[in-house]
Amino acid sequence: MEELLNFLIEVGKLKGKHRRGWQLHQIKNPESTAEHIFRMTILAWVLGSKKKLNMERVVKIALVHDLCEVYASDLTPYDPLLPKDKNKIKQILKRWPKFTPALKRKKHNNKYKMEECALDKLIFKLSPDLKKEMKHLWVDFEKGLTKEGRFVKQVDKVENFLQGLEYWKKYGRIQHKLWSRWIKESLDDPILLELIKALEKKLYQGA
Amino acid sequence: MPEETIFHLTKEGLARIKKEYQELKTFKGAKNKEDLSPEYVVFRDDADFLETRMAELGNIIKNARLISLPPKNKQNIVSLGATVLVSVDGQDDEFTLVGHLEANPSLGRISNESPVGSALLGRKAGDRVVISSPVKTTYTIKKVIYGRTA
Repeated sequence: MEELLNFLIEVGKLKGKHRRGWQLHQIKNPESTAEHIFRMTILAWVLGSKKKLNMERVVKIALVHDLCEVYASDLTPYDPLLPKDKNKIKQILKRWPKFTPALKRKKHNNKYKMEECALDKLIFKLSPDLKKEMKHLWVDFEKGLTKEGRFVKQVDKVENFLQGLEYWKKYGRIQHKLWSRWIKESLDDPILLELIKALEKKLYQGA
Repeated sequence: MPEETIFHLTKEGLARIKKEYQELKTFKGAKNKEDLSPEYVVFRDDADFLETRMAELGNIIKNARLISLPPKNKQNIVSLGATVLVSVDGQDDEFTLVGHLEANPSLGRISNESPVGSALLGRKAGDRVVISSPVKTTYTIKKVIYGRTA
């Protein structure tokens, strides 16, 4: 039981871990990783119910997908380009980051390895069954091994987009046009696309 | 992801899936359960997950449709497998259009069933493709290339 308690204490750190992407956009008191996981899990549940999916698996994948961030850095697509000067960061955020295909692969592989190590460290002392299950669910999310893993991967983007548009409405500091472009290149699930349509309709009214 | 009955796959993608299926099948029947490539090692300790993955791969292989190269006179038109060089609101970018199973936008592979992917299909170099709902984004196609893997 002690190891389980230690694990829960470590997971609790995500409650206070502000998401870096929003900090870069200078959002005051931005959401934490735990808050992102919370709404994303609800989103995965309520929208996943409209599909023929194993809902227990969907919910568990959503809960596990960012646990690695207890120890891993919360990376953003802009990372290798970011200078220390805050004004220069603002300029960089105005355009979508562009990398060569080789650099995209390298970034992708490095992120995977870093997050896998972090997750392994977090779950190391859990019981073999629990450890195995959490690792498998995370690998499914990362690699899209099942319908559920592929669905939750897109839900993650939808929650991010929803939060981005909410911050844009509140603070106006988000390049919402870039985000809109990104989401329409990233999603192909019809139910999630329907939600995006409704979201844009709601948030752009009177914008 | 919209429908999982037909899986459009590149030659490389299908080969990768067949290789994984074969390796897992061999592993399942082997007496020595230690021999498995590191990339599949996650299946080693969980028979249920191995079965689920093998069923998934079997279904994909059964329903796979290979993305083939279009005839030369149609290689100026965007179809599945094309790498499309675009200018998006003044910024250059490139994507390879793939089926949903191989889509990975962070690697430059976008699904043919995404709003942008589906709007680019059937268009050619010089075309301006507008995605509007309600934010208007204009993609100007600069070049269409086949045979490049992203």
